[in-house]
Amino acid sequence: MASPARVYEDPGLPRSSLVVGWNDDAADLGGSVTSRLVDRLQGREFADIDPQGFFSLSGVSVERDIARFPDSTFYVSRQQELVVLKSDSPHNEWYRFLTCVLDIAEHQCKVAMLYLLGAMISLSAHTTPRQLFAVFSSHEARDDFNPQGIVADMDYQTPPGERPTLNSYLLWAAKERGIPGVSLWVTIPFYLAGARDAQAQKKVLTLLDEKLRLGLGFEDLDGEIRRQNHQLAEARSRFPDVDEYIGRLESNLILTNEERGELLKKVEHCLREGA
Amino acid sequence: MGIRLYQEPPLENPVLVASWPGIGNIGVIAVDSLRDTLGAEEFGELEPYDFFYPKRALIRDRVLECLEFPGSKLHFARTAAEDVILFIGEEQPTEGGRLYAEGRKAYHMANLVLDVADRFRCRRIYTSGAAVALTHHTAESRVWAVPNSAALIREVSAYENTVLMTDIEGRSGQGQITGMNGLLLGAARRRGVDAICLMGEIPVYLQGLPLSYPRASRSVVRVLSRALNVEAGLEKLDEMDRRVQQNIEEFYRQIPGEIRMQLDRLKHTEHDEPSEAGPITEEEEQRIVEGVQRFLKKEGGGA
Repeated sequence: MASPARVYEDPGLPRSSLVVGWNDDAADLGGSVTSRLVDRLQGREFADIDPQGFFSLSGVSVERDIARFPDSTFYVSRQQELVVLKSDSPHNEWYRFLTCVLDIAEHQCKVAMLYLLGAMISLSAHTTPRQLFAVFSSHEARDDFNPQGIVADMDYQTPPGERPTLNSYLLWAAKERGIPGVSLWVTIPFYLAGARDAQAQKKVLTLLDEKLRLGLGFEDLDGEIRRQNHQLAEARSRFPDVDEYIGRLESNLILTNEERGELLKKVEHCLREGA
Repeated sequence: MGIRLYQEPPLENPVLVASWPGIGNIGVIAVDSLRDTLGAEEFGELEPYDFFYPKRALIRDRVLECLEFPGSKLHFARTAAEDVILFIGEEQPTEGGRLYAEGRKAYHMANLVLDVADRFRCRRIYTSGAAVALTHHTAESRVWAVPNSAALIREVSAYENTVLMTDIEGRSGQGQITGMNGLLLGAARRRGVDAICLMGEIPVYLQGLPLSYPRASRSVVRVLSRALNVEAGLEKLDEMDRRVQQNIEEFYRQIPGEIRMQLDRLKHTEHDEPSEAGPITEEEEQRIVEGVQRFLKKEGGGA
């Protein structure tokens, strides 16, 4: 079977780090972070993966008024020895897809460390600092990483009736090939899941910046955080129930499903209006 | 990538019995029960990566310890009468969100199982699944048998408590065996291997419930143990059946009286003689199924 990968040019890297973000993540976390990396580091497209077989190509989806088509593109920033994969997550043939990603990582880019980005929906308020969790491919990878600012303890087992995430699958496949990696999970307040969460993006980008010495500036992101906080403050003053619900979350109280739904709806509406 | 054998057991023209999950998990429970009775030993598996998404991740102290995939395991047993290979699939390889296997992956898996059969020179293949039937849960399940060649009809007809499609009212010998349990039969025919699918009856009104139906598995095991000339212990299945029947009775009592009355008529369905109340018509069957489905939707669950 022919490889679904199309490599347009040799990225020319003696070794590199690969950051993977999925477009369909909650709060567009993976898509936003990888887009920022590509923009700031002037990443250059060098490869992609043909969607055939991995996605149900029965038409196109329309999102935010624009027709979308599944996309899996690799970018390189030679100076930073960084490779970025910004991709839709496949619907079928996962193993073949991940094998293709790792073939490019291993053979074209000599990847020495894999960073996988993911969002974790949380029931906390947006005023609570975002938390970062990490899962490593091995004890050595964990000890080398010396993770600061990451939640220290983490044991987890997929609950019955659920399935592991694509990031866990990719981390496992990388581990099988001896490529070390880390899957990073940042918390997102549930009522921002359908929007964007600039604070969560900053949390992840700060860690990548430190680890990979990327020299990223955060002025624009800080501006976005201020803007979003302002919009949320306005929503609280405009809707007393939104203020009450967020206040209860800030006090670590639980909301009912109906209250959560109401909060989500109103916040999304306010953020859309202010966009 | 494909078959991984941990050992090559010395088997003499074994019979291969395969099953995948389906309605009431009838086939899988039957084959698993046989595995237990025969003390069959695991000797290989089909590699899962081409077929399945992982089912479980285990993370300890921030390290991904393992990722588990649905199993497709091979076991063998040597008995005085027959050597037997048992294949048990934990999931059907589906595509595009479908419930049952179909398409490239399914056909590939069927052919891998047949490669195993070929390698060990299997003389016969059995698969097992469910037959959704106009029967009552208090009745003993019959076994519907479908061979993949006309030469097997005579043999199959002699099996106890077994019927052919032509024996089923209104079917005229026609039907459909969905998913892997059927596909393997077809793929075996293409390779000229004799295969028979044994389907235990499950009442039509239970088909949508998330429960196992060991009563039908027990009927399948009885047929298989005769066909393989082995002694099958049925105690565990009897016990399972008792427990499941209690749950079904509880569920049954909650069904609205009007629907239950219709279902009660199935108690009197005799397969050899016309029933007093007359046979259930196709329209009535449709009404029963719809009624139970409406009830389940309202209750938001099952037994």
